[in-house]
Amino acid sequence: MERYDDDALVLSSVDYGESDRLVTLLTREHGKLTAFAAGARKSKRRFAGALEPFMRLRVHIVETRGSTVRLDGTDIVAGFYAAREDLSLIARALYAVELCRELTRDHEPQPELFALLESYLTRLDAKEAGPTSLLAFELSALAHAGLMPRFDSCSLCGGAPGERPRFDQAHGGAVCEPCGARARESVAVPVALLSGLRALQEGARTPLPPDLRARARGLLNVFIAHHLGRRLKSVDFMAQVGLD
Amino acid sequence: MTPDPLNRLVAQLAKLPGIGEKTAQRLAFHILRAPGEYAAELSQAIREVKEKVHLCVRCFSLTDAETCNFCRDARRDERVLCVVETFADLMALERTREFKGRYHVLHGVLSPLEGVGPDQLRIRELLERLNDSRVEELILATNPDVEGEATALYLTRLLKPMGLRVTRIAQGLPMGGDLEFADQATLAKALSARRDL
Repeated sequence: MERYDDDALVLSSVDYGESDRLVTLLTREHGKLTAFAAGARKSKRRFAGALEPFMRLRVHIVETRGSTVRLDGTDIVAGFYAAREDLSLIARALYAVELCRELTRDHEPQPELFALLESYLTRLDAKEAGPTSLLAFELSALAHAGLMPRFDSCSLCGGAPGERPRFDQAHGGAVCEPCGARARESVAVPVALLSGLRALQEGARTPLPPDLRARARGLLNVFIAHHLGRRLKSVDFMAQVGLD
Repeated sequence: MTPDPLNRLVAQLAKLPGIGEKTAQRLAFHILRAPGEYAAELSQAIREVKEKVHLCVRCFSLTDAETCNFCRDARRDERVLCVVETFADLMALERTREFKGRYHVLHGVLSPLEGVGPDQLRIRELLERLNDSRVEELILATNPDVEGEATALYLTRLLKPMGLRVTRIAQGLPMGGDLEFADQATLAKALSARRDL
């Protein structure tokens, strides 16, 4: 059985049996992996504290016959401990890891997504990433997954979205007023919202005002839920505890 | 062929956590060989635990009366309340014989990735309890993991504006531990949470 080391970010982990854990990792070179960590709940030394969500690790992996790999050991590269002391930063970090978990498939390398998530967590930990940065992160992650919403032109006719644009998740983004009749689920959106999201897509980092941010959050929630087939659980958490 | 009642007992015992088929069989044979009173007492104890044990109406720990022993004990300090995730955590703290205050059991923690929010925990009951009590300090004794920290931070946000002292249990090296063999996460936490002497 092949052994290898890789850089990894912990996306989630669940208890398995009496003393083991199943850990979902996003690795730099091997993509998303489900790793079996034997004795992880009992061992005080081997994996202690390392298998928590959004830990940055160096992992020692052993391939098995099935799709699940075996986690042989870990070294913590970055714990992002400052982010773990702030509820809003924890909520954003967990949302980011859940989004990456849902956007990726097992064993498909996504080094750009790994770098994007690592960079976002680093900025969160340094308290340099506010709510708008999360929207920017989501748009970049969606682009890496081939699901980039379109904000600069009508998704149906390719023309300009116009002065009274609409947004339709099923058609992949903005829809102009004349095409709105063909996009039955579309909703009217302010021009400023589309231009704000387009600017974020293009790399701008100017914070959006709270009202536009709330509209953008709602729009992306619907878009992501439509394309994933389910709503992300951490979205509900953020809403319940009043965070964005 | 094994008799059906014995098979049924083995099957039921094998459903218990940590009990496999072989252990279940060994336990079943032990019960079979034991005096009749033992089996009667065992089944009576199992029935009673389901029929009589329920949650304390004040702190949500386990009791067979309306309120639990911790809430009824007048010698315990009403001014200090320790918030824990589970009844097992409460028992662990009791074993220290250090804590003389009262408890509140949340029955879980906030878990964003599992979709567990504040409404699924006993947080509303905690706030109601604080409105008409003499509590001055709350000790947040949730586990030192992401979910436990998120729960402690969320409770702090709710409780601080009420003018209460909110404290968090310390994290770091175990007593009698060896620095050389400590894991990275614990040692990093111990360093960042160092105290003046």
